[in-house]
Amino acid sequence: MKATIERAKLLRCLSHVQSVVERRNTIPILSNVLIEASADGLVKIMATDLDLQVVESLEAASVEDAGSITVSAHLLFDIARKLPDGTQVSLETADNRMVVKAGRARFQLPTLPRDDFPVIVEGDLPTSFEIPAELLAELIDRTRFAISTEETRYYLNGIFFHVADDDKPVLKAAATDGHRLARFTIDRPAGAEGMPDVIVPRKAVAELRKLLEESMDGNVQIDLSPSKIRFTLGGEGGVVLTSKLIDGTFPDYSRVIPTGNDKLLKVDPKSFFAGVDRVATIATEKTRAVKMGLDTDKVTLSVTSPDNGNAAEEVPADYRAEAMEIGFNANYLKDILAQIDSDTVELHLADAGAPTLIRKDESSPALYVLMPMRV
Amino acid sequence: MSEGKTDSDEEEAAIGLRKIIHVDMDAFFASVEQRDHPELRGKPVAVGGSSGRGVVAAASYEARKFGVRSAMPSVTAKRKCPDLIFVKHRFEVYREVSNQIREIFLHYTPHVEPLSLDEAYLDVTEDIRGIGSATRIAELIRTAIREQTQLTASAGVSYNKFLAKLASDQNKPDGICVIRPGQGAAFVQSLPVRRFHGIGPKGAEKMARLGIETGADLAAKDADYLRQHFGSFGDYLYRAARGIDLRAVRANRIRKSIGGERTFSDDISDTDALRDTLERIIAIVWDRIAEKDARGRTVTLKLKYTDFQLTTRARSLPQPVADRQTFARLAREILEDELPLPMPIRLMGLTLSNLEREDDAEEERPRDDAQLSLL
Repeated sequence: MKATIERAKLLRCLSHVQSVVERRNTIPILSNVLIEASADGLVKIMATDLDLQVVESLEAASVEDAGSITVSAHLLFDIARKLPDGTQVSLETADNRMVVKAGRARFQLPTLPRDDFPVIVEGDLPTSFEIPAELLAELIDRTRFAISTEETRYYLNGIFFHVADDDKPVLKAAATDGHRLARFTIDRPAGAEGMPDVIVPRKAVAELRKLLEESMDGNVQIDLSPSKIRFTLGGEGGVVLTSKLIDGTFPDYSRVIPTGNDKLLKVDPKSFFAGVDRVATIATEKTRAVKMGLDTDKVTLSVTSPDNGNAAEEVPADYRAEAMEIGFNANYLKDILAQIDSDTVELHLADAGAPTLIRKDESSPALYVLMPMRV
Repeated sequence: MSEGKTDSDEEEAAIGLRKIIHVDMDAFFASVEQRDHPELRGKPVAVGGSSGRGVVAAASYEARKFGVRSAMPSVTAKRKCPDLIFVKHRFEVYREVSNQIREIFLHYTPHVEPLSLDEAYLDVTEDIRGIGSATRIAELIRTAIREQTQLTASAGVSYNKFLAKLASDQNKPDGICVIRPGQGAAFVQSLPVRRFHGIGPKGAEKMARLGIETGADLAAKDADYLRQHFGSFGDYLYRAARGIDLRAVRANRIRKSIGGERTFSDDISDTDALRDTLERIIAIVWDRIAEKDARGRTVTLKLKYTDFQLTTRARSLPQPVADRQTFARLAREILEDELPLPMPIRLMGLTLSNLEREDDAEEERPRDDAQLSLL
């Protein structure tokens, strides 16, 4: 293999794929990226962690010899980073080495054979549809914070996607860690009808979100089966992310979304967030609960810490129902409030022991459910 | 542009480098008996019933030299060690000592996860006594245990639970072992797989057939291979072989069930043999129930047939199972209902579930419990 690639292109591509590669690997080939140069001038770079793979194509300045090889992802990325801007980088295999040349610098890197590189077998991906990249990015942003990191309930370690026929056909994305739930609903894209329920793992979500950052225009093509999902993004040459799906059953979350909460609190999310953040300053790790006292048109936020004293702040609000008190984990509350890009947020409450529904308004595609803390 | 950080780095960074201690009392029940009965010191002692159906609940180190192990039928133990002295268990005393050592742990950290009366995980990342090193804390705990209970404990110190537990086993009895960051994978790979939590004699046998003897052999297999041969357990093995374990130390872990099972070297089909086996399992499991002081309402019998098909049959009472007779009666009833079996079985197990802990009421609820659950 011999190919010459512009340094900026190579660097951008490597920065995309190398984050898939785990820093510490005991299977040596998993530390490598696969580089494949074809005679038509396209170079494909691919990385995998066995559960997730990313393939990006770029146009080489020239491909003298078609071929493929694998080298250390982080090594090549670090080299590309340090090469002077504007240089042409030549990648050439010789014996079982790859020679990297740029300007006056020359590196010889160890390689592993291309055939050892594990490629995820996609199999049939019968469901295909497209979602605008910007919408997919918002969907991820609004839900990913609620993904569980607890490995015992592995089926919560991702975003759950499913279609439903509510008033109209919709596609819903939901994530929960058992304490809070985030759901984002969009119109069902053409082609998604009959789609199997799938759980996309956290790492795939994170990698996808990074890739979306650089190709917000256009659509993302999604192809999936009950066990695999593939996201194809535009951008130069295109990036394809393929991930295994979490093999498990997501709980029937709809039953925890309250429908009859009759106490409505409307408040400015920014001043509310700031208030929660301020009173939580004195909350120690053990008692990160913030208490909300609701009374006619005001909320009194308070925290009492056995070590650090206490704090209180009154936030003006729109509230007409009977007075009540309820406690929440300050961080959970802030996570949700940070999602609301509006002047008002609605909190629909029932009592101090029941789930609270939080949303921008009735028409908002995003909906949050937060379980209180005993205070 | 990405900064070359992988998601798992972020995950670990989010957890931060932790300091976990696993403390395990040495031959706990037997040591308590030897402490309280000086005439037993230096002699092979087994705690448990010596009668036909009895099983060894714990063996002193002197008895272990003869091959006596816990959960071994007393008859077998007696054959291996004719001078073995059987002592009736005194769970109230063990529980008292257990509370003493729990107090010692709590002096150094609120994050204590007891696994049973005689072992616990401690998260000492937050050094509340300002001692400066987890190893030093482990030594202080061991000293305090020796001074206050005249018993010895072994400790493992590392950066996750899996490694800490392996470490505590390394220099037993009365030993300590530290696995520092960066050493975990190497340590695990030098071990025979039998040492891994969750791999019993049968599992080890299966692995030996696949050419897996050590952690290093295990680490050489990819996740797909392990999943193919071990199902969901494969994912655990994949991580374990790399010394990875992100589970948190949970101070308020609530047990959902308690039980035990045995895989037989020869498949069992004979009705009398089945009944005998059930009695043995009743003995083993009831000891565990008594030790944990568990009160449960549901008894479940699990049978795995030679074709690996698994059936479970359960029976519940309106109130918790109060004594061994009731427990045994329910278990026998379930088995009798299944007889005759369609084919021989390779495994039998019993569990008690729907647990309510007797000490729930008096124990002060940990603060973590204040967060209410959605699911």
